[in-house]
Amino acid sequence: MNSEAARVSTTGRTAKARKTLLGYVPMESPFYAFHPATRLILFIFLGVIPLFIFIPEVNIFLLLINLALLRWGKVDVQRLKIYMPIIFTVAIFMFTVVILAPGRDPSYTPLEVLGITVFYQPVFFTFAAYWRLIAMLFGTILYFSTNRERELLVGLRALRLPFVASYVVGLSIRAAGMFMEDFRIIREAEQARGLDTKAMRFSDQVKLYMMYLIPLFSIALRRANEISNALFARGYTLTGRTSTGQPRQDYIRSTYSYSKRDFVAIVVMVVVFVATGLAQIFFDIFAIEHSPLNILLRQALEIPS
Amino acid sequence: MTKLITVEALDFVYPDGTPALFDINLENETEEFIAFIGQNGSGKTTLSKCMNGLLKPTKGRIIVDDLDTRQRGIIKQLVTKVGYVFQNPDHQLFNRSVWAEIAYGPNNIGLSQSEVKERVIEAAQVAGVHDDVFDTHPYFLDKGLRQRVAIASILALRPKTIIVDEPTTGQDVRQSIEVMNFLKRLRDEEGHTIIIITHEMRIVADYAERTVVLGQGRKLLDGPTREVFSQPEILKQTFVEPPQITQLGQALVEEGLPHDALSVEEMKAAFKKNSAE
Amino acid sequence: MDPAIVFRDLQWRYEHRKNFALKGINLEIGKNDFIGVVGPNEHGKTTLVSAISGLIPHSYNGIYKGSIEVFGKKVFDSDALELATNVGIVFSDPESQFTAMTVEEELAFGLENMGFELAKIRERIEWAAEITLIQDLLDKSPYDISGGQKQRVAIACVLAMDPPIIIMDEPTSMIDPLGKNLIFEILRRLKEASEHTLIVVEHNVEQLAPLADKMLLMYEGLVDRYLPTKEFFADPSYLQARGVLAPESTEFVQWLIAEKALPASIDLPLDLAGGIEATHQALQRRSSS
Repeated sequence: MNSEAARVSTTGRTAKARKTLLGYVPMESPFYAFHPATRLILFIFLGVIPLFIFIPEVNIFLLLINLALLRWGKVDVQRLKIYMPIIFTVAIFMFTVVILAPGRDPSYTPLEVLGITVFYQPVFFTFAAYWRLIAMLFGTILYFSTNRERELLVGLRALRLPFVASYVVGLSIRAAGMFMEDFRIIREAEQARGLDTKAMRFSDQVKLYMMYLIPLFSIALRRANEISNALFARGYTLTGRTSTGQPRQDYIRSTYSYSKRDFVAIVVMVVVFVATGLAQIFFDIFAIEHSPLNILLRQALEIPS
Repeated sequence: MTKLITVEALDFVYPDGTPALFDINLENETEEFIAFIGQNGSGKTTLSKCMNGLLKPTKGRIIVDDLDTRQRGIIKQLVTKVGYVFQNPDHQLFNRSVWAEIAYGPNNIGLSQSEVKERVIEAAQVAGVHDDVFDTHPYFLDKGLRQRVAIASILALRPKTIIVDEPTTGQDVRQSIEVMNFLKRLRDEEGHTIIIITHEMRIVADYAERTVVLGQGRKLLDGPTREVFSQPEILKQTFVEPPQITQLGQALVEEGLPHDALSVEEMKAAFKKNSAE
Repeated sequence: MDPAIVFRDLQWRYEHRKNFALKGINLEIGKNDFIGVVGPNEHGKTTLVSAISGLIPHSYNGIYKGSIEVFGKKVFDSDALELATNVGIVFSDPESQFTAMTVEEELAFGLENMGFELAKIRERIEWAAEITLIQDLLDKSPYDISGGQKQRVAIACVLAMDPPIIIMDEPTSMIDPLGKNLIFEILRRLKEASEHTLIVVEHNVEQLAPLADKMLLMYEGLVDRYLPTKEFFADPSYLQARGVLAPESTEFVQWLIAEKALPASIDLPLDLAGGIEATHQALQRRSSS
């Protein structure tokens, strides 16, 4: 049998990255030396810790750590450019809202900036909230840029998520992938019928998205039937009962193992997390009043504390 | 015979950097019946999508009836010249009734209500879609009828060239013959040029007068089907084999059998002739 | 030897349909036979194989009469796990059969459902991947592989579970020619090994006929013809009227026999090589007479 022929049907380019639902992950990365559970814990760590921290400088520092980890992890920076629009849009949105609708409180200090009245406290508050959000966002981006769906599921199961739940998560991810592919083909088919999306009014474009539901659901309904047949044929029972009566093994999880690296990383993360949490909850160390920038600005603007 | 589509030195590279087509040159005229063959990934679908403007050339150009596909904002004009029927009818049925489906295209190009109505009735008739299903939701129709509704919705735009992606996949013998005869009628009676993208060589031999063979983004062969199937060594490069009966003849060429028989009937006639000599 | 599958007057009507899809099937399928199932669409091919795998009646609602026994046990009385252990089935859409995140997970899933230990799971995965030539694809995700490759993964999943009966319902209809050839190559290997009862529904008679021991024609919900392959193709016009075309070489050689260019006692060829050989004989006879 000619195995050369077996490889021909893929496109000729060399794979520099692996494709996942949300984008690409690098072919090689120092992150892969860690167990998926450790990587998932890192995600939780980087994603949740900003919630304890309301000092913008510290969150910006966390953001820089994220960026450094992205570089270290060999993530292709080009691919991150797609997140730029979100970052700017969120900033514009948040600051516009706080300028136009700052809320009322007698302790707010009004400032005149370019002819508009702006209140210092809510603006700084928004500034701090913004960086917290971005730090959390980049924690998420880091995770999804260095982990495939398979590692997410193994990580979840390692953290004791039951098999059925992890299977449902997996199926949802797969379904989302199929959905997106169908969506792309449907858009092409519409174009082939003379639909010129660029020449449409915005309200029509919105209505268009509603229309996509019809073929997407037709296809999804037909597929759902086929998928359930395929599951039946693989002997899957919701109760988790197996045909030999033996307990169900987790083969994929068994292909990963923990090493010293993992223990060290997990211990460090847990310690830092707990310490930060306790510091904030009991001693309010990361409160916004402790931000050096805040202190400086208040001094400069002569705002009483 | 007027020229319909002219493809000149076409190169196409996907946005992610994958090259798909290299230096393709092609022309078609009215009333042709053409088959595009080649293994998956050879560029058949990419080429077809360039021809109807869904994809813009990276290099080179495509002229459809005096329109250069690289221009912006000409989708509405292009779809009235080149129609594309997708492989899975479900991807193209976006409306809640058959009538709305067939009217979708004419509505998009801005025809008046009375013109739209005229187009729908005409297209439905040609495609064999009866008026008693006009109010039915396409989801509930059987596959053959859904395919005909999809074709009718393209016909309503009256394109001179119609590209059909895999018309006979998953169909049985009777259904395949029905759809292929229908496409043949569209060419014979209505003057359309039909281009089919297919993997079924028997269908190509029975219906396509001209065959274009693509392999790894290049055009390997382009000519009368008979001539194309006489070159199995080139076809092999793109993992295509001529129909079994053609191969039978090619294996016994030295004993007098034809190297380009397209059907069992032709082989029978050739055998008789050979024996008479 | 006891037959693997026995149908006793099986009838089935899908819920919401007027007519019975299967109108009374009486059939015996022998152990380790390779059966090719052909016939027009909507005449009962898929329903027939769904009844063997247990999808009918366990996954569909409708009216069930008569019985099917797989290795002596009634399908109606078996549960999904028992059925999956005995009967593996591969469907025609490669996309819908791929529900995991990578090929390796896909293969492991069915084996985990069986409750095998880790070592056995690994062994089975390696073995199935080798037969279906997907060893290089184990770490890939569904977005990175073609339809033909996904279909081979589906076949590997079934093989890994090693059921004694394997059904394939139009496995190549959505696959390109190269993929088709690879799948038929796998079928050829399985046939040679002769360790499974294989039931393959196909429209591609040309590649199916050379492999099948017997061919079954489903027409209007009944078993219209069930014969060893060469006898099956004896009456081409009968078959054509029922939407089944013989391989072109077979058809041509039958004509040669009818024209007395070949003796009627000749072994009817089912593939190109056989057709060339027979035609060559006929040409020799002509030139020598």
